[in-house]
Amino acid sequence: MALFGRRNVMLAMLVFAAVAPAFLNAYYLFVANTILIYVLLSIGLNILVGYTGQLAFANAAMFGIGAYGTGLLQVHFGWPFWLAFPSGALIATAVGLAISLPALRLRGLYLALSTLAFAQFTQWVFLNWEAVTFGAGGFKTPPISFAPLPISKPFGLYYLSLILVLALFVLAQNLVQSRIGRAFVAVRDSDIAAESLGIDLLRYKALAFGISGFYAGIAGGLYSAMLNFVSPEGYDLFQMVIQKAMIIVGGLGSVAGSVLGAGSLVFILEALRKVKGAQEIVFGAILVGFILFMPGGIIGFLKDKVRGWEEPLNRARHGKLPLLSPTTAAESREVRP
Amino acid sequence: MTQALLSVRGISVNFGGVTVLDGIDLDVKQGEIRGLIGPNGAGKTTMLNVISGIHAPQSGDVRLDGVSIVGRKPSAIARLGLGRTFQTSQLFRGMTVMENLMTGLHHRTRAGLIAASLNLRSYREEEEATEEAAREALEFIGMSAFADRPGSALSFGQQRIVEIARTLIGEPKVVLLDEPAVGLSLNRLTEFDALLRRIRDEKGVTLILIEHVIRLVMDVCDQVTVLSSGRRIAEGTPDVVRNDPAVIEAYLGKELRARHPAS
Repeated sequence: MALFGRRNVMLAMLVFAAVAPAFLNAYYLFVANTILIYVLLSIGLNILVGYTGQLAFANAAMFGIGAYGTGLLQVHFGWPFWLAFPSGALIATAVGLAISLPALRLRGLYLALSTLAFAQFTQWVFLNWEAVTFGAGGFKTPPISFAPLPISKPFGLYYLSLILVLALFVLAQNLVQSRIGRAFVAVRDSDIAAESLGIDLLRYKALAFGISGFYAGIAGGLYSAMLNFVSPEGYDLFQMVIQKAMIIVGGLGSVAGSVLGAGSLVFILEALRKVKGAQEIVFGAILVGFILFMPGGIIGFLKDKVRGWEEPLNRARHGKLPLLSPTTAAESREVRP
Repeated sequence: MTQALLSVRGISVNFGGVTVLDGIDLDVKQGEIRGLIGPNGAGKTTMLNVISGIHAPQSGDVRLDGVSIVGRKPSAIARLGLGRTFQTSQLFRGMTVMENLMTGLHHRTRAGLIAASLNLRSYREEEEATEEAAREALEFIGMSAFADRPGSALSFGQQRIVEIARTLIGEPKVVLLDEPAVGLSLNRLTEFDALLRRIRDEKGVTLILIEHVIRLVMDVCDQVTVLSSGRRIAEGTPDVVRNDPAVIEAYLGKELRARHPAS
């Protein structure tokens, strides 16, 4: 395995993430925790969009449902965070599974539009069902404590996020290499051939939606706890665009790429926070630049240039494949009688 | 007469009032290579789509090994032992050749969400067996050297052959091939003949193929069914069909004879 291969770089990043709180101030710890949360969101979204090829726009809504679920269960029912958090994630998973049912009959732009409509509907509920969601102003969640562990809340939450990221990263990485990951990619590359090989489209589309809902729900719960506050604008269309941009910048159909995309974009967005308007402009430029010049994302670049970044189920590089067989040209000229 | 492995009875399909298939019967025996030919628009591909469950017929029944498969989902029919390939390449382009073949074993493997994501031993053993089967399939089609190439890097003809192997790996009883020789150069056709016969003889798979390359049909098929405008106009051995006046009238005489003086 090459020195700067995927495994070594990921391990180095993990070690760095584990020791980072020792020398980060409160603000940078917040940024680091935000990165971890977006890593979860990107991995889940990448499984749905990058691997399974379902162009869905409901991830921000499921992120919101996780955050609202976790927060509201604590506020309204007095549940402790440790119960509300997994429940919020399960609610988001259930919603993800539910929206996959109409999604089976839709594809491409129609799927995009219908999931977008669902996301806007979720926004509307967050804004207008004031008796439950507290409307546009949002609500404060109860402070959480890591007692009996002797650590403060920001540190505790950071390490909780890191452990979850590590666990869910490994699970996702294993999953996408398995027969289930192959079924996802089969559905993406040719649904008709996938079916003819005995792959049940409904089952695997639902599974991908459910997994992305689960990852988004976990991220939402962590996000609400980190901010101690939940309000509708955190889960709007711009949120969805940020998440989509992360998987495009990182690389579609790559778990490691999700990590790289989330990390670099959160970093850039935070660095530009001081200059008004710069976020949107730079953000747009990055997105257009990647789509035009690096459609494979950061991970595509690394796979081309650095040894040890090859991944299963992600071999196709876009557009510049060498002719591998001398007969290729002759055969492709062949026309059927 | 032995019972047919695949038995089609009175299949009728119409799309928006246009009759595409009109009460078609078809019986294919175990171990047979059946050719399905006919002019463009005869309904050949629709026929395969009905058998594999992509189109639901307005009437009629399809039985695979005695089990009625009409009205089931394509994936369920595939699990009952029916494989198929398509007119255009449907290779999974983001996967390597090896991964494509491993996907063909999907319905024969069991690992679930938990076993796969936790990398449990049961899953790893199954995965190894899957890899082994995929390697054997690659050897069978003589493409071992291509194992780690991306699907998108193969020539069109190679893609089609990998697709056939991807179907075979799931050990189907019957495989439907929709114009498998498209994209093969003429000097590869003899090799392809041999491959089809080996599939039948070594794998015990029954084949139904739509083909426009008449030489291939005449060389390799045991029986040929000729469709024209949604009806079966002739059936029999290649020689019988070749000399059938209705066939010559509808098909060979006017079109293909002229273009294929050799056949």
